[in-house]
Amino acid sequence: MSSDFDSGDRIEIQWKGTKFSGMFISRDEKVTVIKLQNGYNLSLDNGSITSINLISKFIPRKTNISERTGTGKKVFLLGTGGTIASYVDYETGAVKPARTVQEMLYAQPDLAKIATIDADIILNILSEDVQKKDWINIARKIYEKADQEEGVVITHGTDVLSFTSSAIAFLLENPKAPVVFTASQRSPDRPSSDAFFNLSGAMKVAQSDVGQVCVVMHSSTSDDSLYIHSGVRLRKMHSSRRDAFKSINSEPIGRIDKNLEIHWGSYERLGGKPMKLYDKMSERVGLLYFYPGMSEELFNKFADINDGLIIAGTGLGHMTNRFISQVSDYTNQGKIIGMTTQCLYGSVDMDVYTTGRNLQKAGIIPLQDMLPEVAFTKLSFLLGNFDPETSRSLLVKNLRGEISGRRTE
Amino acid sequence: MRYLEEEQNDVKIGLEIHFQVSGRKLFCECKGEEGTKEIGSFTRKLAVVSGEKSEKDAAALQESMKGREFEYRKTENSCLVEMDEEPPHYPGKDTLETAIIVSLILGCKVVDNVHFMRKIVIDGSNTSGFQRTGIVGLHGVFKMGPSNIGVTSVTLEEEACRKIKEEENKVVYSLDRLGIPLIEISTEPDIRSPKEAREVAESIGLAVKQSRMIRRETSSIRQDLNVSIRGGNRVEIKGVQSLSQIEKVLSKEIERQRSLVEIAGILRNRDVSTDFHIEDLTNSSFFKSSDVFTKGLKAGKKIFGFTLPGLSGVLNNGKYRLGREIAERLKTVGIGGFIHSDELPNYGIGEAEKKEISKRLGTKNEDAFGLVSLESNRLSQCIEIIQNRIAEAKKGVPAETRGATENDTRFLRPLPGSSRMYPETDIPLIPLDSAYIKDVERKVPPTVEQRVSHLESLGIPRQEAFVSLWKEYDDVLESFVNDFGNPKVCARFLAVVFASERPDVVKASMLVERFSRGNIPSESLEALYREGVFSMPGGRKIILKKDDRSNYVLELHGNDGNKELGPDFKFKGQSDKRLLKIIESVIVENEKLVRERGEGSFKLLMGEVMKQVRGEFEGKDISDLLKKMISEASHKDEKN
Repeated sequence: MSSDFDSGDRIEIQWKGTKFSGMFISRDEKVTVIKLQNGYNLSLDNGSITSINLISKFIPRKTNISERTGTGKKVFLLGTGGTIASYVDYETGAVKPARTVQEMLYAQPDLAKIATIDADIILNILSEDVQKKDWINIARKIYEKADQEEGVVITHGTDVLSFTSSAIAFLLENPKAPVVFTASQRSPDRPSSDAFFNLSGAMKVAQSDVGQVCVVMHSSTSDDSLYIHSGVRLRKMHSSRRDAFKSINSEPIGRIDKNLEIHWGSYERLGGKPMKLYDKMSERVGLLYFYPGMSEELFNKFADINDGLIIAGTGLGHMTNRFISQVSDYTNQGKIIGMTTQCLYGSVDMDVYTTGRNLQKAGIIPLQDMLPEVAFTKLSFLLGNFDPETSRSLLVKNLRGEISGRRTE
Repeated sequence: MRYLEEEQNDVKIGLEIHFQVSGRKLFCECKGEEGTKEIGSFTRKLAVVSGEKSEKDAAALQESMKGREFEYRKTENSCLVEMDEEPPHYPGKDTLETAIIVSLILGCKVVDNVHFMRKIVIDGSNTSGFQRTGIVGLHGVFKMGPSNIGVTSVTLEEEACRKIKEEENKVVYSLDRLGIPLIEISTEPDIRSPKEAREVAESIGLAVKQSRMIRRETSSIRQDLNVSIRGGNRVEIKGVQSLSQIEKVLSKEIERQRSLVEIAGILRNRDVSTDFHIEDLTNSSFFKSSDVFTKGLKAGKKIFGFTLPGLSGVLNNGKYRLGREIAERLKTVGIGGFIHSDELPNYGIGEAEKKEISKRLGTKNEDAFGLVSLESNRLSQCIEIIQNRIAEAKKGVPAETRGATENDTRFLRPLPGSSRMYPETDIPLIPLDSAYIKDVERKVPPTVEQRVSHLESLGIPRQEAFVSLWKEYDDVLESFVNDFGNPKVCARFLAVVFASERPDVVKASMLVERFSRGNIPSESLEALYREGVFSMPGGRKIILKKDDRSNYVLELHGNDGNKELGPDFKFKGQSDKRLLKIIESVIVENEKLVRERGEGSFKLLMGEVMKQVRGEFEGKDISDLLKKMISEASHKDEKN
């Protein structure tokens, strides 16, 4: 049986004594997928198929490459993968991030009513495959575009979005134009996708005077309002909901209503200060989630391979007393160990209990209300660009709004 | 059975019959029931997205043009899955099994793998913007008497939201129904008449019910109808709720399609053009006495008149109603009040004004004109829709999706193409290996005919056996007969208990069912019948009484001895037969009158019957039966 058909070819198939025609979709070692005339896909076991014959070859349509069009300010759309730029993969039947931004614009012509858009894809990987070198590449591209354009919108997967947004916030000092991240929890192949509203909102923010890296996502399950979060204060707090992202230990910096009007809270405006790009990150920084009964061996191995460690400790910022002597040894070697809380909400306070005080004596630095992921990207940024002494002092200093002394919730 | 005399050779009808499956919802663990408590709401919008091969679907596009907002009411039986906030869970095992059993009942080949698809539906009835659906069975044959009806496919899909209300630019839906498993059976267009369509729907319904997994609520079965006539295109009619509606709706639709084919024939010989001459008539004096237009003017709208070259007489002459077709299209984008010259004088526009408007627009012999009141920025959209519909009229019957009303249809949207489907990637392929299918084959119930024969062998009359299968109390009936004997009395008793759609009686029927499952008294039904008491579990009693008109009355008494319901339904039987005899004799006596006047003889005969029954029966029962019998008698004569 020949299997050299291309997706889209018209074929006739014989199966279990009946015959029908349809469109060839894919074939693997087990099943052949064909699309019937009524739109249904059938996945037939290869063994139960008697024959497949070609009726006609598929002639692909020419795709429109969108030219720079639209109304409003010039915004550059930077694709870095993720659900917001996903498509259906016929081989596995899975949603994969690889669609071109041009296609995305083609699917969302309304965006052209909001901004004059140009686009490029620089990354096409799943969120979980993002590495520090990718953050540096993204930061470089944004630096270049922020200099030429009036705003930059970056689409990204949701899973590690807050890592990336905070990394970019640190790497890019005093951005010259708004830098706005957005994403979607429902892929844009669905009519119900949150991508449409999120992107529209991000396009609006990219034309504002916001001077801090921010993230635009749904504020509730409804398609009627978006939040603008600070890129260093948010976290994905639900695996699937549209409103998964919450600003933690701070208020969102703004809200966008269903008419795409922005209602600003307190935010950093674009200033006249020169934009600066830091394009290094230390690969020797790790993030460790402490759990009861964690072995010394594991802790030691983790500390051995890193110069900087962020611990997500329990409650007010604790981990077992058993580690105290090692902690002393490591900090004496010049390694930086910072403490954050697994609770996420609230600040660490290592003065309340003996363990906390002992850990501090051993050299652990309490990182106040900084989120563990943000502390991780911050320390990676610091150790990549500054000496350990400067890094240690900057770690506890509020650089991009990642630390606040006052909390209301 | 095929009704040869009814067969219309140029008509092709196919059915899509939907059954709700009982148990949990298809893709989550919520209960599949309607009417649960509301616990909040949220709003969404839906966008048109490109299909697999980047084709946007015409039907989907039109819905989105409406730019509507959807409000969804969360219910106690809905979760994040219905909210489109969580991926679907693996479908329920029992549900899948039911779909396989139904496929086997209908002689289908069961697929190797169930491959769920996303069917784009952007009217808001699915929060996701698509309906998940997968083929389970293919290429079956359903035998109905001497006919073979081809079964295209059996699919398992999710039920849509329940619409609560529709406002301007907003539709409100409840999530209670969303996700209830639905089995869709599509037949080939093998059906030739509305009557046969009804027969097929009824027979398939009865066959499928034998799986015992179909929800019993009256709204749980729905039909969509596909119908075309020679020279036309396929029209899909959505949402036919009852069997009796099938015939009415189809007859009306076939009539509509025939007239459209005729209109196309007429237009071919005329000078029809979509090059309209349009004039702003806002400041004219034609509409002074027209409420429709003055209302629009007050709302700041303008009045436009335009020629409709070559359309005089086909917009509305009683038989041809192209005007209504145009008005329906305009309504879908919110443009109401389209008025055309065929329906004038009317709406406060007199003959004189009609002539004046014609003159002003410069219409010629066969030209008609149209009037519409709207905001001037919507004029081009309005004209384009009318031009498109006229272009279609020249070709005949446009392919479209229509909605069923009580006994007619109305335009909903253009017929969707196949590009509105793509794979549901959140659910893996579900393999159905042959060992598993063999296992399920053992659970396939006996056919309707086998089951009826079995009940007949117990002494239950054939017609009552059918009724018990349709109402799904055949098991109860069988156990009653086993315990009490006297099949005819059992059958009649249960027929009454299960006949009513009234909620209190339905409750009573549930009690009887429970009663029959356990605690069956050792006395025979005859003994109970004499005593008039059926003991129920929990000390309840069903009491049979004769009322002062010799009708049997059924009452349900609680364990405190107080009456819970009744005398709310009458035990018809002996007394009905008496009425039948009286009417029969009256008709025979007045045979000549019935033959000559047909239904016109009703009044006279009613008087005769009333004299004889002397208040023994309800007036409505008498008139219903009499009407039916007069009609039968006069039709019999026609055939002779």
